[in-house]
Amino acid sequence: MAAPAAPSLARSGGSSSALPMEEIRALTDLPDLEAAYSRLCAEEKAVEEELEMLLDQQSSVESKMVALHRIGPNLQLIEGDAKQLAGTITFTCNLAENVSSKVRQLDLAKNRLYQAIQRADDILDLKFCMDGVQTALRNEDYEQAAAHIHRYLSLDKSVIELSRQGREGSIIDANLKLLQEAEQRLKAIVTEKFDEATRQGDLPQVERFFKIFPLLGLHEEGLSNFSDYLCKQVSDKAEENLQLVMKTDMSDRRAAVIFADTLTLLFEGIARIVESHQPIVETYYGPGRLYTLIKHLQVECDQQVETVVDKFIQQRDYHKQFQQVQNSMMRSSAGEKIEPRELDPILTEVTLMNARSELYLRFIKRRIVSDFEVGDSSASEEVKQEHQKCLDKLLNNCLLSRTMQELIGYYITMEEYFMRETVNKAVAMDTCEKGQLTSSMVDDVFYIVKKCIGRALSSSSIDCLCAMINHSITELESDFREVLCNKLKMGFPATTFQDFQRGVTSAVSLVHSSLQQGKFDTKGIESTDEAKQSFLVTLNNVEVCSENIMTLKKTLESDCAKLFQQGFGGEQAQPKIDSCLSDMAAVSHKFRDLLQEGLNELTTSAIKPQVKPWINLFLSVSHNIEEEEFNDYEANDPWVQQFILNLEQQMTEFKLGLSPVIYDSLTSLMTTLIAVEMEKVVLKSTFSRLGGLQFDKELRSLIAYLTTVTTWTIRDKFARLSQMATILNLERVTEILDYWGPNSGPLTWRLTPAEVRQVLALRMDFRSEDIKRLRL
Amino acid sequence: MSMEDYDFLFKIVLIGNAGVGKTCLVRRFTQGLFPPGQGATIGVDFMIKTVEINGEKVKLQIWDTAGQERFRSITQSYYRSANALILTYDITCEESFRCLPEWLREIEQYASNKVITVLVGNKIDLADKREVSQQRAEEFSEAQDMYYLETSAKESDNVEKLFLDLACRLISEARQNTLVNNVESPLPGEGKSISYLTCCNFN
Repeated sequence: MAAPAAPSLARSGGSSSALPMEEIRALTDLPDLEAAYSRLCAEEKAVEEELEMLLDQQSSVESKMVALHRIGPNLQLIEGDAKQLAGTITFTCNLAENVSSKVRQLDLAKNRLYQAIQRADDILDLKFCMDGVQTALRNEDYEQAAAHIHRYLSLDKSVIELSRQGREGSIIDANLKLLQEAEQRLKAIVTEKFDEATRQGDLPQVERFFKIFPLLGLHEEGLSNFSDYLCKQVSDKAEENLQLVMKTDMSDRRAAVIFADTLTLLFEGIARIVESHQPIVETYYGPGRLYTLIKHLQVECDQQVETVVDKFIQQRDYHKQFQQVQNSMMRSSAGEKIEPRELDPILTEVTLMNARSELYLRFIKRRIVSDFEVGDSSASEEVKQEHQKCLDKLLNNCLLSRTMQELIGYYITMEEYFMRETVNKAVAMDTCEKGQLTSSMVDDVFYIVKKCIGRALSSSSIDCLCAMINHSITELESDFREVLCNKLKMGFPATTFQDFQRGVTSAVSLVHSSLQQGKFDTKGIESTDEAKQSFLVTLNNVEVCSENIMTLKKTLESDCAKLFQQGFGGEQAQPKIDSCLSDMAAVSHKFRDLLQEGLNELTTSAIKPQVKPWINLFLSVSHNIEEEEFNDYEANDPWVQQFILNLEQQMTEFKLGLSPVIYDSLTSLMTTLIAVEMEKVVLKSTFSRLGGLQFDKELRSLIAYLTTVTTWTIRDKFARLSQMATILNLERVTEILDYWGPNSGPLTWRLTPAEVRQVLALRMDFRSEDIKRLRL
Repeated sequence: MSMEDYDFLFKIVLIGNAGVGKTCLVRRFTQGLFPPGQGATIGVDFMIKTVEINGEKVKLQIWDTAGQERFRSITQSYYRSANALILTYDITCEESFRCLPEWLREIEQYASNKVITVLVGNKIDLADKREVSQQRAEEFSEAQDMYYLETSAKESDNVEKLFLDLACRLISEARQNTLVNNVESPLPGEGKSISYLTCCNFN
């Protein structure tokens, strides 16, 4: 009910009007009075309007008041209902509290009842165990007694404690005491009986009491006692074997590997023990216990290995031999070198010993790993790692491993010496049968290297194998390659026979030299022949070496793959072998390079000095010829047939003396040489039209011949010469344009424009102005 | 030979007395690990790490040898093909320093004459137990014409630097050798010079 603004302002003034009476009374001027009057009139009017509005609202206010009066009684009803509801809820709540507390009490009662039953059971059990133990012990039924003790040990200790505090505490106490006494007695009896069985070597009894230990909670003791028993067996057997060894006749078939055999027997014995007793241990001690057993056994194994190896070192003079080898290696020239052949048997025996040890260790490892796997199936990663660490430590640090590593350490040095000395011998005894392409040393050297690496491989030790591969690489790459290198360095002597054929000058020099050297003359020719033969054989040798190294590498790759398949070698074994073998491939390439060097040497020292004069004879045959001479040439070939004949003669010697592959490379080098030399003489000659035709015929004959002697394509090497022949055969200078540039068709020009002009200029009948005018 | 993706391949062999930390240096460099309670190495271990130096991929074949005497004949067989040797001793162990001349004799006897040898004093994290002063080691390495570096495999001090500096030097040596080999045409018998480049330059 908003009232108009002006009247409310007037009221807030404290009087009915905005103008106080005093002010009005003070007014004296007429205009002021009039103004005051009009203002008062306006105020009056506003007040009247307001009053009217309020009066208008009166009826609606009254009707609302009536409605309010009617609601009053209902409110009282609602209040009553609410109070009643609250009462009901409180009641229900109390009821629920009551009920649940009773359930709780019931629960408690039930639990106590169970406990009581458990305790009663336990007490009964205790009593039963106590009675049972007594009876069983009386009857010497130790299994039964142990079962009772086991039951007692697996009872909840707190329950027993509780029982003791009960009313019948004293009885239970007595029972318990009896039981504990029985436990101690049983432990003592079992240990004693076990020891007795051990002493008597009574395996059934030993196993009987071995099974009882875990029931008494004596897992470690049981395993350790049992291991002691097994160790005793191992040592008895080993001593027996060693006695036999010492009595072995030197003529015995196995005498050379008798110590390896003894170790084999020892390992096989232990493996058999592990194999046959693993089930008992697993059944009665649970999985994961084999490690403990084997750890004990390994101590005995180590002791026995030490004894055998000591005997081996002593009987075979192992250390002395090693010392001698070392001395021989130090004093490279000294006389008293140890004969490598003498080392042969001992080296074989050592690798065999190591192979057996590796096999045994691998067996042990496999067994323990699989046993741990079962035992640790639900164990944490930490436990598993801890177990793995224990196993690694056992395998790596056992005396067996260390002893074998030591033996192999000596072996590698001795094997290296064996290889080097035997290779030296093979080189010294090198012979070449007539008609053989290679000499004996190549086959011998590779036989030796293969034998040494093969022996290292047979040790099953990857590090040992890698070391011998490395040593073989050194031997082949440095020492043996050096031998071949030196032979090639002596060079291919210039041939006296062909000197003789070459003509008078050479003949004179031959006579001259024979006069000077007198009696040495024929021998000189012979040794020259030998030197030639030796050079060619060496080339063949180098090639075969390169091949053999690759073959050896492939063989070793597949041998190693087999070894890895059997589970030998650690995770790094493969990359290690791969790396060593790739070095081997590099050595093969070095031999290939050497072959190439040798061939180049042969070409420059033997072929070039011969071929060059033959080609130079081309210059003495005029190609600036007319019809008549051309026909004459047709009848009596002036040059090319003789050249081909000479080549054929010369190459026969190489064809016989070199392997097909090398011969092929050599002819390839020779054709290159011929092509180069031919170009030179052509550029020094002059041609007529028919002379060009003659040259074309000669070139075709030459190419046809060379094609028959090589498997390489000749055309490419003679491409430039063929193009020269084409140019020399042109009718006119401008005819070249039919073959040049856009008209060349499938022909690719190997000659530069300048060279084309140069060749054109060789034709006497072509005018130099025409050639100059050509646009190429 | 496999066409792997690298520009250079170098063989590095670590040698030195047992327990000076060769395996830890290699592990730290190749795997970033420092495994405490490392057992003694058996024979030789083999690791590969490819590093990039000035945009070129360098494959390092690292042979970690056993320091124990009984493995000596195995480890010696690796010297000759090594491009670099890292001779390691323990700065807290006078004995391992005193054995260095013996190791140098081995190098002299077995390694290629082009091999680069680096002397490394390891375990500088144990400064309070130091038995070999840096100055002594430096004088020794200078007299033997070796590069010298002190490292801690445990704290990873200078380990990267050791291998990367070495790789850099190997690259520059290899480059020089290509130049030399290109200038002198090899005569028979002189082709045996260096093996790096036959196997490394694939670019």
